Amino acid sequence: MSEAVEAPVVTARRDHETVRTAVKYALIVAAGIVVWLLPAYVKNEWLVVLMWIMTGAVGAMGLTMLIGQAGQLSLAHTFFLLVGGVAYAVFASKGTSEYIGFGLPTLLSALLAVLVSAAAGALFAPISGRLRGIYLGVASLSLVFLGFWLANQLPSLAGSASSGRYAPSLNFFGFDFGVQTPSLYVLNVPMGQTERTFWLFAALTAIAYALGRGAMNGRVGRGWRAVRDNEAMAAVMGVSVVRQKAMAFAISSAYAGLAGVMTVWWYSGLMKPDEAVDHGTYSTTVAISFLAMCVIGGLGSLGGSVMGAALVFGLPLAIPLIRSEDTVSAGGTAFTPVVITNLIYGALIVLIVIFQPRGLAGLWDRAIRLVRR
Amino acid sequence: MTTFVQAIVNGLGEGAVFALLALGFVIIYKATETVNFAHGSLALFGGYIIFRAKEHLPWFPSVVIGVVAAALLGLLIERLLLARAKNATPDSLAILTIGVDIVILTEITRRLGTAAAPFLGDPYDSKPMHLFGATVSRTYVVALIVALVLIGLFFLAFRYTNWGLAMRAQAENREASALMGIRSWRVTASAWLVGGGLAGIAVIFLATNDIGGGSGLLASHTVAFAAFPAAVLGGLTSAEGAVVGGLLVGLTDSIASQYVDLNFASVAVYLVMLLVLVVRPAGLFGRVEQARV
Amino acid sequence: MRLNRLTTTGLVTTCAIGLALSGCSVKDPEAGGIGGGGGGARGIKTDVGVTSDTITLGAMTDESGVFKVLGLGITQGNQMWAADVNKSGGICGRKIKIVPADTGYSAEKAVPLYNQLKGQALGLVQLIGSPILAALKKPMVNDKIAAIPSSWASTNLDVPNVVMVGPTYDVEMINGLSYLQSQGKIKNGDTIGHIYVDSEYGKNGLLGSKYYASKHSMNVVQAPVSSTASDLTSAVTKLKGAGAKAVLLTTTPAQTASAVGVAKAQGLTVPFYGSGPTYTPQLLDTPAGSALLSGQFLTDALMVPWNSTVPQAASIRSQWTKDNPKGEPTFGPIQGYVFGLVWGQILLQACSDGDLTRAGVLKAVQKVSVDTRNLTASLDFTHPGQPSTRAQFLMKPARVPGGLDLVQPQAYVSKEALSYKTPFQK
Repeated sequence: MSEAVEAPVVTARRDHETVRTAVKYALIVAAGIVVWLLPAYVKNEWLVVLMWIMTGAVGAMGLTMLIGQAGQLSLAHTFFLLVGGVAYAVFASKGTSEYIGFGLPTLLSALLAVLVSAAAGALFAPISGRLRGIYLGVASLSLVFLGFWLANQLPSLAGSASSGRYAPSLNFFGFDFGVQTPSLYVLNVPMGQTERTFWLFAALTAIAYALGRGAMNGRVGRGWRAVRDNEAMAAVMGVSVVRQKAMAFAISSAYAGLAGVMTVWWYSGLMKPDEAVDHGTYSTTVAISFLAMCVIGGLGSLGGSVMGAALVFGLPLAIPLIRSEDTVSAGGTAFTPVVITNLIYGALIVLIVIFQPRGLAGLWDRAIRLVRR
Repeated sequence: MTTFVQAIVNGLGEGAVFALLALGFVIIYKATETVNFAHGSLALFGGYIIFRAKEHLPWFPSVVIGVVAAALLGLLIERLLLARAKNATPDSLAILTIGVDIVILTEITRRLGTAAAPFLGDPYDSKPMHLFGATVSRTYVVALIVALVLIGLFFLAFRYTNWGLAMRAQAENREASALMGIRSWRVTASAWLVGGGLAGIAVIFLATNDIGGGSGLLASHTVAFAAFPAAVLGGLTSAEGAVVGGLLVGLTDSIASQYVDLNFASVAVYLVMLLVLVVRPAGLFGRVEQARV
Repeated sequence: MRLNRLTTTGLVTTCAIGLALSGCSVKDPEAGGIGGGGGGARGIKTDVGVTSDTITLGAMTDESGVFKVLGLGITQGNQMWAADVNKSGGICGRKIKIVPADTGYSAEKAVPLYNQLKGQALGLVQLIGSPILAALKKPMVNDKIAAIPSSWASTNLDVPNVVMVGPTYDVEMINGLSYLQSQGKIKNGDTIGHIYVDSEYGKNGLLGSKYYASKHSMNVVQAPVSSTASDLTSAVTKLKGAGAKAVLLTTTPAQTASAVGVAKAQGLTVPFYGSGPTYTPQLLDTPAGSALLSGQFLTDALMVPWNSTVPQAASIRSQWTKDNPKGEPTFGPIQGYVFGLVWGQILLQACSDGDLTRAGVLKAVQKVSVDTRNLTASLDFTHPGQPSTRAQFLMKPARVPGGLDLVQPQAYVSKEALSYKTPFQK
C-alpha cells in the first residue's frame, strides 16, 4: 500500500509527476515488448510453467484481497475455480448428447463464466457474513467438498471425472489462441497454441492486477479495510458491513472464476473434475495452496500474490524439468525431483512465516529500499 | 436393523478416534490460537515410529515409544518453530503448520518407499465381535473404550490440576494470566505435547484395516483431516465440543455412507458442520466473541 | 530515486530491443512443433526423437506418488527391454534410449514434463494414470504422439494414439463373471455386487458386468466409491444386505484389502473377483492377507505371473533379481517389458515402411500384431477401437515371489467377451 501513501501531490512536484508518468508508460511498453518476444526465446515447457504461475497469480490476487484487505478467511477458492471452469465449458462448447453446451462466442463465455463465479460468491454471502476467522475458513472448505461431489454427480455439465469434456480455446475477434497450424511468426519462430496462450495469460494477469489495484486504492478498498479493522466503527461511519463483505466475496470469486477459465485453457481446453477431494486441480490441497500463496506473498499485496504463485504453483512444476537423466531406484525411497520439490516448498513456507511475516512482498519492499538508499 | 446397529457402532468407534484427534486440536488451539494443519502429520509420525519400533520390539512398548515420539514432535514444532515466529499472526502460524505438514508427509512417504502399507493395530485388527446381532470390528470397540477413558482423564486433569487451571486461565485472558505469574511458554508447550500425544494414540486406531481401510499408515493422514470439522463443529475453544463433534462426525460419516454412498459421506460431514455454523457461528459449545467498539 | 528508476527502465528497454535485434532465437522452431520430416539415414523419414543412431522414447511414470510401486516396476521393465534390444544391435540400426519423467501422479506436473519430452522423444513407452492420460490426450493427438497407457478403459480407444496393451476393464469383468459361472459359483438370475471406483476405471468395469448380467438375467448391485476412500465397510454391508452371490471389484489395491478384510469380518463368504489393478503382492502382508490366500479372491492379468515358466519371464526374473537383490518383485517389470516389445514391433514396422516419423509410427501401429514371446496372449492392433486382446490370465494370490499364481496355464477368453462390442468398436 506504499503506493497509496504517495498519492497526495503538491503543485511544486508536478515535473516529478510528469517524469514519473513517463517512466511508468516506458516500463509498461518495455514489459509489453518483453512479453511479446518471450515465446520466441523460451522453450514451451517453461512457457507452460509461467502460464501456470499466472493462473495461480490471478486466483491468489482475488484471495489476497479477500483475506488481506477485507479480512475474510476463505479456503473455498478452488470451488470458485471449478465454477468458473465448468461455466466456461458449458457456455462455450456446443451441446452434444453427452454434454450440455450453448456454443456461445468464447469471449462472451469467458465473461459470463467470471460473472457466474462472482454470483456464486455473492450467494455465499449470507453465510460468510455470519462467520469469522477460522470458522469462516473451515465453513468455506465445505464448498470444496460440495463442489467435488456436485461435479461428480453432474457429468453432463462438468465432464466425466476421468476423461473430462473439452471447451474451445479463446477466439478474440478472429485471433485464434488455440491455433494448430501457426501462420504468425515472431523472429522466425511460429507462434502456436502455447505461445499465443502465453500472451493471453500475460494480458489477463496484467488486467487483473490493474483492476485489483484500482479497487484497493479506491473507495472499495477503503470500505474493505474499514470493515476488516473494526466492523462496528465501519458501520458507524456509514459503511454497509454486509454489502462490503458480500462484495469482497463476489470480487474474490470473480478472480477465482477467471483463474478457472485459465485452467481450462491451460489444459488445452480440458475441463475435468477431480477423482478425489484431496487430490487434483480443484482439491482441498490446492485450496490450501492458494492460502499459502497469499501468506507467502504477504497478505493483501497483489504483487506478493504473484511471487507467492511463482513459489507455490511454479516450483513444483519447474524442479522436475531441471532433473538430470536418472536411473530408477527399486525401493522407491529415492529423492526424486517431486520429493525434493515438496520438501523445499514445505520448508520455505515455514521459513518465510518465521523470518518474514510480511511475506515476499515485505522482502521485496526492503530490497527496493536498500537499492534506493 | 442389524445394518443400522452396525452403522451406529461403526460411527461411534470412528467418532471416538475423531474425538481424540479433535481434542488435541482444541487443546492446541486454546493455548496458542493456532489451527494446527499438521495434526495429521503428528499422527502419521507417531505411527511411523511405532512401525519402525515394531521391527525390534513387541507391540505395546512400540506403541509407547510412538506416542511419546508424537508428543515430542508436537513439542518441538512449538518450541523450534512457532515460538520463533513472534511477529506472525495466528493465521500465518496456521500456514506455518501447513509447511510442517508437507515436509513430514513427504519425508515419511518417501521413507516408506514401496514397502507394504504398514498396519499398527495388531491385537485387534480384523477380529470381529458380535454385538446385538451385528458383526462389528474389534478396533471400533477398543477405540471407543480407550477414547472414553482418555477423555475422562483429560477432563479430570483440566479441572483439578495446576496445569488445567493454567490452561484455562491462559485461554481466558493471556495477559491477565501472565500477570498472575503463569508461565505462558509452559502452557503452550505442554498443550502441543498433549496434542501430539493424543494424535499418536489416535493413529494406532487409524492405521488398522478397519478405519484406515487397506491403505494402512498413510491413510491416517487423510482420515485425520476429518477431525478438522469435528473440532470446528463442537467449537474450537471447547473440549466438550471436540468430543461431541467427533462423535457427530463419526455418526454422520457412517450413516451417510451406509444409506447414501461413500462419496456423499465426506460431503455430508461438511454440510452438517456448515448447518451448525450457520445457526451457531462459533460452533455448538464455542465461546461467542463479543464485538467491542 | 528517479534517476535509478530511469536507469532501470533504460536498461530493460535496451535489453529488450537488443534481444529483438539479435534476430535469431534460441528456440528451435522444429523442436516441439509438428514435424516437417527430413530425409534421415538410409532414406528413412524421421522427425522428432530419431537420429541416425538413437531412437528416444519417453516414459511418463510415477516414482513418488500413489502408483510408485507400479511405476518403478514398469520403468525397470522398459529399461530391461531397451538394454536387451541394444545388446542385439538395436532397431532399424539405432539404439533405444528411454527417458523417464516422474509425474508423481499429478496432471499439473505432467503437462510441462510432456512439453519437455515432446521435444526429444518419438513417443511414450509408458503413461501412468487416467488423470494424466486425460490431460495429455488432446496434445498427444495434436502432436501425433503414440503412447502405451497403464490404464485400460475401453472408452479411451477413441483415438489411434492410445496403444492399449491387453484386455480392457469391461472385458476383464465379463471374462471374470463367465469364469465364476463356469465353475458353478454363480448362476443365471443371481444378484451380483460390484464395488467400483467412481471414475473411468470403475465405470468401464461396470460396463462389462452390466453386459454380462444382461446376457444372463443377473442383477448388478452397484457400490461406487471414490478413489481415496479407504474404509469399504459400508459398501460391503450394503452388498451383503442385497444378497450378492459374488462381488466384483474395480478398486485400488488398498480398497481390495479393505473389502476382502471387512467381508471376512462380517462373515460374507461369496467369491470376489477383482480386475488386474486391484491386486499387488504387498496386500498379502496386510490383515486381509489370509482372506486373500483362502481362494475366495480371484483376479487376472494381461501377462503371465512373476514365477512363470515362460522362458522370457524367467530371463526377466533373473536379470531383475540381479539388479535388485533386496527388491520385492511386482508385476511391473514383466508388464514394462511387454510394453517395450510392443513398441519394438511398431518401430520395426515403421522402419520397414521407411517412415520413422510420428505420423509414420501412428500408421505402423495399425499394421502390427505382436508376439510377446508368450508373456501375453497374442496382441492384435489392426482393429482400431478394439482392445488388442480379449484374453486374460486368471490368477489367485499365493505366497510366491510376485504374489500371484495361475489358475489355469492358458489365457482365458469367454464367448461373451468375444461378442461384446466395445464403445468405439467399428
